[in-house]
Amino acid sequence: MNRRKFLKMTAAASAGLVLPMGLPGLGRIVEAAQGPDLVVAKGASTPQIVRSALDAMGGMKRFVSKGDVVVLKPNIGWDRTPAYAATTNPEVVGTLAKLCYESGAKKVKVMDNPVSDARRCYKQSGIADAAAAAGAEMIFMDNRKYREVQLNGTALKTWPLYNDIFEADKVINIPIAKTHSLTTLTLAMKNWMGVMGGVRFRVHQRIDESLVDLIRVIKPTLTVLDAVRILTANGPTGGDLDDVKRLDTVVVGTDQVAIDSFGATLFGMKGSDLNTVKLAAKAGLGVMDLAKLNIKRISV
Amino acid sequence: MLTRTRRIVQGLFLALFLFLFIQTESKGLDELGYPVKLFLDFDPLIFLTTLLASRAVEGLFWLSLIIVGLTVLLGRFFCGWVCPLGTLNNIAGSLRKKKRSKPPGAGWFRLKYYILAFVLASSVFGAQLAGVVDPISLTIRSFSLAVYPALSYAATSFFDGIYRLNLPGVTPASEILYDVLKKTVLPFQQPWFLQGVFIGSLFLAVLGLNLVQRRFWCRFLCPLGALLGLLSRHAVLRREVSEECDSCGACAGVCQADALPADREKWRASECLVCNICDDVCPKNAVSFGFLKGRPTGGLDLGRRNVVSAFLSGAFAVPLLRISPLARPRMSDAKLIRPPGALEEPKFLQTCVRCGECMKVCITGGLQPTLLEAGLEGLWTPVLVPRIGFCEFRCTLCGQVCPTGAIKRLPLEEKQQVRLGHAAIDKGRCLPFAHATPCIVCEETCPTPKKAIWIEEVTVRDREGNPIRLQQPHVDLTKCIGCGACEKHCPVADQPAIYVTSSGESRSEENQLLLQAPTGSPYK
Repeated sequence: MNRRKFLKMTAAASAGLVLPMGLPGLGRIVEAAQGPDLVVAKGASTPQIVRSALDAMGGMKRFVSKGDVVVLKPNIGWDRTPAYAATTNPEVVGTLAKLCYESGAKKVKVMDNPVSDARRCYKQSGIADAAAAAGAEMIFMDNRKYREVQLNGTALKTWPLYNDIFEADKVINIPIAKTHSLTTLTLAMKNWMGVMGGVRFRVHQRIDESLVDLIRVIKPTLTVLDAVRILTANGPTGGDLDDVKRLDTVVVGTDQVAIDSFGATLFGMKGSDLNTVKLAAKAGLGVMDLAKLNIKRISV
Repeated sequence: MLTRTRRIVQGLFLALFLFLFIQTESKGLDELGYPVKLFLDFDPLIFLTTLLASRAVEGLFWLSLIIVGLTVLLGRFFCGWVCPLGTLNNIAGSLRKKKRSKPPGAGWFRLKYYILAFVLASSVFGAQLAGVVDPISLTIRSFSLAVYPALSYAATSFFDGIYRLNLPGVTPASEILYDVLKKTVLPFQQPWFLQGVFIGSLFLAVLGLNLVQRRFWCRFLCPLGALLGLLSRHAVLRREVSEECDSCGACAGVCQADALPADREKWRASECLVCNICDDVCPKNAVSFGFLKGRPTGGLDLGRRNVVSAFLSGAFAVPLLRISPLARPRMSDAKLIRPPGALEEPKFLQTCVRCGECMKVCITGGLQPTLLEAGLEGLWTPVLVPRIGFCEFRCTLCGQVCPTGAIKRLPLEEKQQVRLGHAAIDKGRCLPFAHATPCIVCEETCPTPKKAIWIEEVTVRDREGNPIRLQQPHVDLTKCIGCGACEKHCPVADQPAIYVTSSGESRSEENQLLLQAPTGSPYK
């Protein structure tokens, strides 16, 4: 052991001992390492599966601390009612908002940059009412608040993204699982198109790479995939109840690539069937191989 | 002092008008919650001309008979106490210097009766032109398409400026104020309208005429005022001048109209706005208004030849307007995409009063006023311009606010089956067709339950001959409703690679592409 190495170790050790935040922080990391990577909760009561899934992940307190400003990003892209599975289930969003407040969050904001009119999407999806009932604030995205973010990706170098998700203390991604002709499925990664400003439909020219580039900088605290109802055809807009399949499931985790890889299995596919998942795993942004994950399945 | 009471009442009606105007905006539900077209429902000129032109009227229009009845009793109280344009003219007129040596317009008051005769004649022969000059329609249209968008633009620019300056103390306060304004009086998003400057300038001109003569519009031009004037000739509420009057002339200069209050014999009941100013200013207190006092005076001499000329002009205007090639049978304009539920074109033109309510309420801002796209007869009628805004699949608001039924009020299920036209793909511009580049945004945003845009997986070659797998879009005409979501979202800048034209529109028998129109039309 040379002198430099010795000094480094001493400094690290004393930091751990002296700083009051050091130990609980360390404990949390250990706990996280021991907990499951993904929790898949199934059950008839949507609020209950969300709560149980979070409990199995170690509790919402693991992710949201007292005084946090939390942004919830559901998929509210279309003017549809919940039964059509084109937008995230409002009960999933509402329950997560409640859990955030129960964990001491100062403020919970819910937002998306929809394709249809935002007023209609928010209201018709049931998310505006669910958020209001939970005390969360629905934010209509303000054109002035996108800022050019360096992505240094393969398809996108920079792109205007909504500032709130970078200013918030915690961000929770709440996609719904649906089909999509271009990306096969739309899950967690695709949901970040809802924080893009600019002419975002242009990214369709290289969409898989673009979505990977987005998650180079967008690192949510938690991802909750809504598969209470999934849309199996005519996505992402839907409109026909025959295309909706009820799974009564949510998938919770911190690795959005792993979530998307698991999400593919809900449609009888594999993660490797999705270009986005393959590229993201290759870029080291998450795990595609479900065999390498500790997946906890619970029935409520 | 009745003047003060009248001003309060005028203020209240103007406030009600503005409140209903601001409420003509979606908050996310498919209903507005307020009777936003109330002022139009009470408008007898709209009622009468629609009845004459289209031989059909919406139920609520019978409300306007209340105004007719009250006018027969009370005279033109509507003009003096209720009409929002009248009140705005009062406000604008207060900018005019009080004394002017020679107020212009002696005898010009007859002009509005000729305008009325013209408009009525054309409606008898089936053209609805009243909406262009009806004061309620004119005010709502001008506010919707010009005044309100301009005010919104000004406010937004102002607050954006302060936001960008990021002044400590000032910017946070201005943001709070901006937020309050956005939640109360400002629109959800900036409205953009073709012809905003034209329609706005005309409205400013109407207000500006008050500098020439106060209430210029009401005195000389307003056809609704003329109609109410005809009804007021024998009003039961009458003006009486007692023997106390010493002809001092105090009332002569204050009359808001040309009712000749200083002339006991020639006082014109049809011109009196029942504003009571002549009563208030009379130093002898000789003037009073009361029921059944005195007898009607001052017959309305309009000159028979003039009235006949105006009527014939209005009648002749109809064929003159109809010799446009657009009015020929089997002629349709590709870009004349009417709102969902719009009546067949000739009927639509007879029924639409160009009030702009549908354009104001359109959630995407896609409904725009025509200039000459529908011929001069169709001036300022609504047309969907998908590149500006598409027809939201689950929205029925335009049919709900239409005062005359020119756009039918359809239940959601029926509205979703109405075809406004068909989409067509420009393969020379479409990325997957012309440039071997993936896209299919049109397919993604297509809102029909089974997507009208379907995709074909193909292998194409790039310049070097390398094979590329990609998806190319196609339109299924049996499914396409012409809503324009694809055109709106097409990422091909300026001229889109997919666009809607009116062919295939449900409302027309003739403007069809397919041998058999797709089923599910509410009109068949």
